[in-house]
Amino acid sequence: MGYARVLSIGLVGLVGRMVEVEADLSAGLPGLTLSGLPDAALSEARERVRAATVNTGLTWPNRRITVNLLPASMPKHGSVFDLALAVAVLCAAGLVPAGLVDGVALLGELGLDGRVRPVRGVLPAAMAAARAGVPQLLVPVANGREAALVPDLAVRTVDTLAALLDHLRGATDLPGPDRRDAAPDIDAGRDLAEVIGQERGRRAVEIAAAGGHNLALFGPPGAGKTMLAERLPSVLPELDDESALEVTAVHSVAGVLPAGGGLLRRPQYQAPHHTSTPAAIVGGGSGVPRPGAISLAHHGVLFLDEAPEYQPAVLNALREPLENGEIRLARAIGGTRYPARFQLVLAANPCPCGERGGTCLCSPTVRRRYLGRLSGPLLDRVDLQLDLLPVRAAQLLADDLQPATSAEVGRRVVAARRLSTSRWAGTGHRLNATIPGGLLRSPRWRLPRAATCVPERLVDCGTLSARGYDRVLRIAWTLADLSGRERPDPGDVAEAVDLRTRTAP
Amino acid sequence: MTAAHRHEGVDTTDPRPRPAMSTVGSSTADPPDAARDLGWDEVRMARAALVWLVEPGHRALGRMVREHGPVETLHRILGGAVPERLAKAVSARLNAADPMERAEHLAAETRRLGCRLVVPEDEEWPTQLEDLARIAVDRDPRSDPHTDPPLCLWVRGGAAALTEVMSRSVAIVGARAATSYGAHVATDLAFGLADRGWTVVSGGAYGIDGAAHRGALSAGGVTAAVLASGLDIVYPVGHTSLFERIGTDGLLISEWPPGSSPQRHRFLIRNRVIAALCRGTVVVEASARSGARNTARHTHDLGRMLMAVPGPVTSSMSVGTNLLIRQNDARLVTSASEVLEEVGLIGDDLAPVPRGDDTPRDQLDSLSTRILDALPWGRPASVEELAVASRITPTQVRRTIPLLVMTGFAEEIGSGYRLNPQQPTSAKKSTKTSDPPDT
Repeated sequence: MGYARVLSIGLVGLVGRMVEVEADLSAGLPGLTLSGLPDAALSEARERVRAATVNTGLTWPNRRITVNLLPASMPKHGSVFDLALAVAVLCAAGLVPAGLVDGVALLGELGLDGRVRPVRGVLPAAMAAARAGVPQLLVPVANGREAALVPDLAVRTVDTLAALLDHLRGATDLPGPDRRDAAPDIDAGRDLAEVIGQERGRRAVEIAAAGGHNLALFGPPGAGKTMLAERLPSVLPELDDESALEVTAVHSVAGVLPAGGGLLRRPQYQAPHHTSTPAAIVGGGSGVPRPGAISLAHHGVLFLDEAPEYQPAVLNALREPLENGEIRLARAIGGTRYPARFQLVLAANPCPCGERGGTCLCSPTVRRRYLGRLSGPLLDRVDLQLDLLPVRAAQLLADDLQPATSAEVGRRVVAARRLSTSRWAGTGHRLNATIPGGLLRSPRWRLPRAATCVPERLVDCGTLSARGYDRVLRIAWTLADLSGRERPDPGDVAEAVDLRTRTAP
Repeated sequence: MTAAHRHEGVDTTDPRPRPAMSTVGSSTADPPDAARDLGWDEVRMARAALVWLVEPGHRALGRMVREHGPVETLHRILGGAVPERLAKAVSARLNAADPMERAEHLAAETRRLGCRLVVPEDEEWPTQLEDLARIAVDRDPRSDPHTDPPLCLWVRGGAAALTEVMSRSVAIVGARAATSYGAHVATDLAFGLADRGWTVVSGGAYGIDGAAHRGALSAGGVTAAVLASGLDIVYPVGHTSLFERIGTDGLLISEWPPGSSPQRHRFLIRNRVIAALCRGTVVVEASARSGARNTARHTHDLGRMLMAVPGPVTSSMSVGTNLLIRQNDARLVTSASEVLEEVGLIGDDLAPVPRGDDTPRDQLDSLSTRILDALPWGRPASVEELAVASRITPTQVRRTIPLLVMTGFAEEIGSGYRLNPQQPTSAKKSTKTSDPPDT
């Protein structure tokens, strides 16, 4: 018998596709030929598989070996096929019986010593297996819990090639995944109550969370911009099952799923440095693009500190995902889509020197150019833009002695979101942040003139743009939701007016 | 009403009303029965008959109606006791049919179409139209005999009274063959004006007119189309659905009775009504020979604010507007707020613009007073500092202080607040006006 076929799963972006690994042994010069669009990591599998087989105590067949990965037109990458490749060759050589691998999909990377090592993207691969009706999935031990997140799929874990071969020969049974709950991924130590004196900032975080608004914080160093941004995820509601699976799948593909591999229930926080490239932010890389920071921040928070320092290409690349909630990366070898419905938090100093008070020497031109790097179309999508001043003693006094904790604020956020979800039911929107201005100004939702006289006056004076007016309305609706009012009252609109920036371009 | 009742009392064989001895409007004379069924008094009947007889805006007729009232004027015309020029104008129609019969027919038509007839004797008559009598005097009668105020208006739609809708209105007019630039600007202006509670007035043509109506409608505001034909005749036909929307959410207005066809000269006659109804007219795009320039001239003659949107000097569709700015003292406007800046300054007798009224300090509530007491004179204080000083939560301060800024008590410096050096004085009387109706 010189032929064998084993199932595995390859990934195109976030979508897993079944791959058949077939091996053929024939007479000729000894060697292994790999076909089916392998990338560099996959081509190196030849050496890994050979060494692992030999170190497990088997003899490598000294024949001409041809391995083909079907469908041959789909590009395949990474080390995930090592295990399937080894089993296919050994079955074709007749060293192990092929009967037990029928209908089993194999995932895993092999070390030279024959150990099975964890791989990326097991969750989307497992989802693909369930979809394709594969009865059993074999994954590395470290990926067991991740694969077990998919319901109705029999998962077995394997730690060495030797154990797998014993199982195939019928000697032993492979263990199932460890189904004990992983430690909850609560981000302890980042509570909103720790931000003291910055009442305005805390209020902004609460509003941003309740309405899903993007947030821009302008202020000198030390005003607490970063502290506030880091704490936004802590007041966001937990993800529902569907969102959590999406988020976990993206992290799995990116290979950044925390050890233990549980479902990511908390909104994620991404804060890429301002030197990051567009590919790192929106996704990219050679071959099939990998997810970037915006996809890792899916259903979470993307924080850009010192926002004007980012390359303009990076900032402008955010516009489309902000609008669509996903990023489509087209490459010659094949395009892919990653989800990217993130909440954007920008932070910027009012000028490049960042000096507070009277010591700033930046000329007005320099200051304007600095903030001008945040393009209008980008800032248009940021509802809540406000100035933060460095904390002064008076503010420490003004603050509650015991500011609300993240848990308390989170409860208010959940209640407010419930109100907005029921109000916008039927419009295709859930959060106030996504409501178009036209809908807010339509007869059904228009506020009485008594409520909107303050922003209207500012529009007439030219100190508030038409878009700024819409932003004020959206924030006013969120303020009403937070206080359980059916519609914003004049006070809500007034507070929304106060919570706007005066320094932004 | 029973048939028996219909035939008692009044001599129905003589359709001519008796000469009105009292002033119009307070006439107690019984109108003909058929018309009373439809809710038209004899003043309405007389005005409708006069409009049917003579093209609207006729100066000689208008003067006579002002002097003797519509009922007496009609009586004189039917009796032939009128100056020759007027007699000539009415002779063609007078020989064709009995004006009173026509008026009865019009009353029935008006009701059938779901319209109403508004006459100067009504509460809701927009009195600014009477300004047209003033410009009618100076004009050369041969060149333009039809500049007198309308005798009556057919109106469809609009829950609110005409006066109320027209008290804060701006006309947006321009070319039919508008470019995309013109249509965009017209839509934008109309949207901005309607969004802030102003009524947009225009004709019913393609191009700028249509764009203005659409802009106002999409803002959920009130828009009025002043037509040059009867309200039952849709012209141009391509605007059928637009007129339907205006008839529902806005106003369709015409001084021609139902059944009148849109004739070329009627558009020029109509233009004076658009100019006179509004506090200002914005010409968005106009070629060198555009009807919009005719509206602009009336606006200028009436002393209303004439505004024009500039355009590329290379565009033939902006030759007229650029010329208005260059020669005719039109104000250059580019946005709705600039339009409001112009029309908000004139017409003290009309409703004031929706600005916050100065309120004396003693009218403030206790919360505002406490914040006001905490506001510093010099260095501006942040909301948090004000909260400490006034012992109010920062949220409450934020909910109140923008109103204090708007009413002139406080001013905003950077991100902080301080007392406004020019405090509102209580000498200014609180001209609290009713807010415009919310849609």
